[in-house]
Amino acid sequence: MLIDINANIGHWPFRQTVYNTCEALLERMDQSGTDISVVSNMNGIFYKDTQASNEELHSEINSDTRFHDRFLPFAIINPIYGGWKRDLDICTEELGIKGIRLYPKYHDYELTDPACIELVTMARDRGLVIALTLRMDDSRSRSWMDLDYEWKLEDVIPIIKAVPDARYMVLNIANGIDLKDEDTAFFRNSNVVFDTSGRNIYNLSELIGKFGPAMFAFGTHSPLLDDVTGLLRIESLRDSEADADTKALLRSGNARRILGI
Amino acid sequence: MPVKINRRRFFRNTALSTAGIMMGSKLADLSARPAPAPAAHDLMKEVMKYRKIDAHEHVWEDGSNIDAQIDFADRLGIDKLAISRPLTQTTPKDATPEAYKKANDTILNAMKRHPDRYIGMMYVNPLYGKESLEEIDRCIDLGMVGLKVYYQVKINSPLFYPIIEKFIDLKMIILMHAHCGLGVGGQRTKYGNIQPNASIPEDFVEAAQRYPEAMLQYAHTGGGGDWEYACKTMKDYPNIYVDTSGSNNAGHMIDYVLKYLGEDRMLFGTDGSYYQGVGTILASNMNEAQKRKIFFENYNNILKKSGNHVD
Repeated sequence: MLIDINANIGHWPFRQTVYNTCEALLERMDQSGTDISVVSNMNGIFYKDTQASNEELHSEINSDTRFHDRFLPFAIINPIYGGWKRDLDICTEELGIKGIRLYPKYHDYELTDPACIELVTMARDRGLVIALTLRMDDSRSRSWMDLDYEWKLEDVIPIIKAVPDARYMVLNIANGIDLKDEDTAFFRNSNVVFDTSGRNIYNLSELIGKFGPAMFAFGTHSPLLDDVTGLLRIESLRDSEADADTKALLRSGNARRILGI
Repeated sequence: MPVKINRRRFFRNTALSTAGIMMGSKLADLSARPAPAPAAHDLMKEVMKYRKIDAHEHVWEDGSNIDAQIDFADRLGIDKLAISRPLTQTTPKDATPEAYKKANDTILNAMKRHPDRYIGMMYVNPLYGKESLEEIDRCIDLGMVGLKVYYQVKINSPLFYPIIEKFIDLKMIILMHAHCGLGVGGQRTKYGNIQPNASIPEDFVEAAQRYPEAMLQYAHTGGGGDWEYACKTMKDYPNIYVDTSGSNNAGHMIDYVLKYLGEDRMLFGTDGSYYQGVGTILASNMNEAQKRKIFFENYNNILKKSGNHVD
């Protein structure tokens, strides 16, 4: 089984994207052999009222029975915008979400903002996974209207420390995988998985040695990144580097554990 | 995205969800449901199907990345790597003849270690014109087959003219570091903090227009530059090639390059980002013949012009 824990639909306003609908994404998943994608709607990064994007995602997934078993929706919630607690309730109780994605830099708050900590705590209590994305797009080629700031891996530590018993996915690790020893140990002992899409997953074999095989799960960051590279990092591992059981963890086992499915 | 929220449809769907079509319930017990439709996909078989020449790779000054580099090349089926040792001193004059001769010796030593894998690219600084031409002769005699240059001098500078003319005679390619970005850190002076002599797409165009017989390689479309801007700017200049190396494996990038530059001007490269270099081409919508060109044939055809091609 293959589970992509980092896929997106929706519009990216600064350049044209393809495969950004459930229909197109499903076609690509069939080509790559991906069974299930954790999917979010990028429109919610740019809407002030992110709930509209969550409703769009729900509507699209329910527009075709082929989508029901193939997509796991994650909502985008902005904890400094009015009505977000009601949105979280609706997403959990009616829209069937399995997690939330946070975009503090786009939504103008800090991860340690009390409202964010409250949201993560509420998500934990509802059994939801919290997904943190180090960057959406490469700031070097960004539009003049996009962020010029990218997180490093260590930047997500404060929220994990604030709510340590929640489940987390850290996505598109572009920066800072070479942590201080104490931070490496912190992640190893946390309920976190890293997806394999980011450029800092420069040598997965080495990183498994450092963090352990339970920390990594297949992710593409599609459509902003290509949908092959994240899988290539796993499939190109030699048998001496990752046996069949380890590869099964990377392809889907770790994703299933963190998602509780 | 075409989907726009329709309140009536949304609430109808919500009602259906409550009735049991909600995704969470469907996925609650994966072990109980049959395997999904897609056939197994052997990605590594696809990777190994293509011969590959990496058109943009570097060896570190102390050579300490060679073993890991060859290991990655083996892992991903990369037959040959065109290597160089660029000098990145921020003051252009500091890239002295002594420094670039030492850098070239690093490459020559690497070529000796792996003669079947490495293709040597020399390095010079056009600020030292006479010495650069002498170094080109030395490196050619020792088996190097192309030139790598960085941001000491722009590609369209008159200081470059004798070097470009030399490489026209040699029928060899010039790989120039490239910069392209309009946001913070980009070349527009209202934002800019780039190296003043870094070559931008317009500089490549000017050099290509002046020397249509030259082969110019625009470095790393995936290296953080604005690849859309670059492709559009360089579209009409057939002697500008681009390599696809770099850490940014942006979705749809390769198909965009194909649309603007075509299948004959794109060269596979990694610049140390091995997974991305291979993955982004495999993810493209190119057919098998086009992928063969990008991975191998286009660069080999360039090498063929000087008789240094791979069999």
